[in-house]
Amino acid sequence: MRDQSETRTGYALLLPALGVLALLALYPILALCWLSLRHRILPFGIDEFAGLDHYAVLLQTPRFWNSLGVTLYFVGVSVALEAALGLCIALLLARNFPGAGWARALIILPWAIPTVVTAKMWEWIYHPDFGVLNYLLQATGLVSAPVNWLGTPSLAIHAAIVADVWKTTPFVVILLLAGLAMIPPDLYRASALDGASPWATFRHVTLPLLRPILLVVVLFRMIDALRAFDLLYVLTGGGPADTTETLAIYTYKILFQTLQFGYGSAIGVVMFLVVTLVSLLHFWVGRADFRRLAGRAP
Amino acid sequence: MRHITTISLEERTEAQVSETARAVILVWRRGHAPIPGVYCRHSAKGETGARVILHTCKRWLAGLVAITIMGVAGCTSADRSPSAGPDTITLLFRHGKVSGDPRPLQKLLRQFEAAHPTIQVRSEPLPSSTDLQHQIYAINLEGGAGGIDVLAMDVIWVPEFARAGWIRPLDDLFTPALQAEFFPNAIQADTYRAQVWAAPWYIDAGVLYYRKDLLEKYRRPPPTTWPELVETAQIVLEGERNSRLYGFVWQGRQYEGLICNALEFVRGNGGDIAIREGRITGLAEPETVEALGFMRDLIHRHRISPSLVTTADEETSRHLFGSGRAVFTRNWPYAWALFERDGSAVHGKVGISPLPGFRGHGSASTLGGWHLGIARDTRHPEAAWELIRFLTSAQAQKRLAFALGIAPTRTSLYEDPDLLAGQPVFAVLRPILLAARPRPVTPFYPMVSQILQSEFSAVLAGLRPAGAALRSAERELAKVLRLERL
Repeated sequence: MRDQSETRTGYALLLPALGVLALLALYPILALCWLSLRHRILPFGIDEFAGLDHYAVLLQTPRFWNSLGVTLYFVGVSVALEAALGLCIALLLARNFPGAGWARALIILPWAIPTVVTAKMWEWIYHPDFGVLNYLLQATGLVSAPVNWLGTPSLAIHAAIVADVWKTTPFVVILLLAGLAMIPPDLYRASALDGASPWATFRHVTLPLLRPILLVVVLFRMIDALRAFDLLYVLTGGGPADTTETLAIYTYKILFQTLQFGYGSAIGVVMFLVVTLVSLLHFWVGRADFRRLAGRAP
Repeated sequence: MRHITTISLEERTEAQVSETARAVILVWRRGHAPIPGVYCRHSAKGETGARVILHTCKRWLAGLVAITIMGVAGCTSADRSPSAGPDTITLLFRHGKVSGDPRPLQKLLRQFEAAHPTIQVRSEPLPSSTDLQHQIYAINLEGGAGGIDVLAMDVIWVPEFARAGWIRPLDDLFTPALQAEFFPNAIQADTYRAQVWAAPWYIDAGVLYYRKDLLEKYRRPPPTTWPELVETAQIVLEGERNSRLYGFVWQGRQYEGLICNALEFVRGNGGDIAIREGRITGLAEPETVEALGFMRDLIHRHRISPSLVTTADEETSRHLFGSGRAVFTRNWPYAWALFERDGSAVHGKVGISPLPGFRGHGSASTLGGWHLGIARDTRHPEAAWELIRFLTSAQAQKRLAFALGIAPTRTSLYEDPDLLAGQPVFAVLRPILLAARPRPVTPFYPMVSQILQSEFSAVLAGLRPAGAALRSAERELAKVLRLERL
């Protein structure tokens, strides 16, 4: 009996939090879904029920499939690179060497710079005429003519990925450093006593214990990259020929440049579904680790 | 944290804050999304611990309230001015940044105030990005919260703003007799559903700039056809043997300027992209396909345009030509004054001529320019019209043309001896401006333009052949134009 009343009190105490969540998260999502079922262009007084029209149009629109592909490619490549690079750097910085504190503090710099500034900076680095990248490549004789990094369809998305990796790897590094600090040093001493090679230590001690935090970091980065907007918008505006147009940029252009609220909301709903699906998949893959992270035994 | 919050609020200028507040108010009024502050109830005075948190919360609420009040104040401030007497009214005039020195325009406005003692003008420049300007207008005018009386619009926005009911028809004030004094193509762009909605403030058209000195050196006349331009550029490039010199730079970035450039090639080839009775015409025609293909050929076959034109806008190409790194460039008239100013690397070496066409067809510039309209919600339509009449008067236009080199919209000024003596370039510009043709006139222009931009850009980048891209654009446009019939 007592158990039951305790449970009830628990739920009652949760209610305010749930209420705030519903207000701040659920209501906008439902409003978005509702809006996506309407033809709505406010300035022209167009506002009528459209049913699933927008979704039918979306499925037949090459631009939509293109932006979905661009988004997934951007997420896949950039997050994989960030995780790999971030892990290497974190392992290096976790060692004690003279100036380690300074190095750990400095590594955060790219993450601290506002994204718009980062994008402008890389825009100049990539500039075909005045950019330092072309200057270096030409000075070392690697290329004979300047490369138009942001204007060539196959290059632009990769140029953007490099800028994104530069900017967000520090985030991965900092979280992994925290994860590394949580591994008990006894384990390393024990493995040293057993004569384990550095690789074996990494493979059987560091990596398994770092896995949960690594999964969280990758989840954060994936959700962030799925919504990629600011860096790409400033760097390329979605061009050339929509080859860097992510779902977020597509939504923005439809919603704010052409004021098609209904159609733009439909793309927003799709984006929300993609993020949810990817997150759920990720949770399922790493379910054992997440359980461990939540404090329960695996 | 608290500290940072306070500073960031204080550091914002009032204009920025009220802009945000207006956006918030619009969203709230329309019921699109909830705003946290509106639903948040401030609890009773903090008696228990966690005072710091509560204090922070208070600051936030105070900030929100301040923003809202500033926003609301911004809506009505058009009628409140510290120095204004009881009968004085204040007009809010919003416009994009005029290229170059802002002082001549300010001087004109002060002169207007001197001539109209009961009217004061507060001018608020908008960000230079036209996309942002469009967004700010959309938010303010649709929300009815901007307090705008007179606004400057890009020529392509007039039908959209008219259909949206953001601006007033001017037929009673801007009579046919008055209209006849302006460029007819500009008036055509201001006309939607048989009513006139704006008055032309200044006019733009694409022109060709060339290096007089280089053409003379190789004994080549300014080209009148595109093949001639290709030939001349190749001859100069071969003779100069300078790897840092380009033949022809233009605007191929995926943005509005690409539409202007592409239309010039298409129309110069006898084609035309137009919207008639809710249908797009001329898009997948051979003339259009050929013209788009030629634009790509300039980069890859004729090799007179560097591949960077696919990311170039007006300023990129102006800087390249202005630093002596191109034989030809396409730009608007504003660039002339900048090429010719003291200290410019090409000072005295620049020629200006109509854009070339293809054999058998004439030159066809795209019409640009800015137009003045009266906001629907203004409380002072008469005063607003007075201001527009003043700004579009011969005297005011002459002043801006002298000071900034921007092109007046009154045809008579192009015969004005003073102006021609001071700015001889207007004699060359006159026929170009007279012949310039508007982009498709439709309230759905932003949507049309976006679709065309991505397909044109795909052609230039070589992702799709011109024919396939244009057919795809035609399909997408049909979906958008269906909205016209809703």
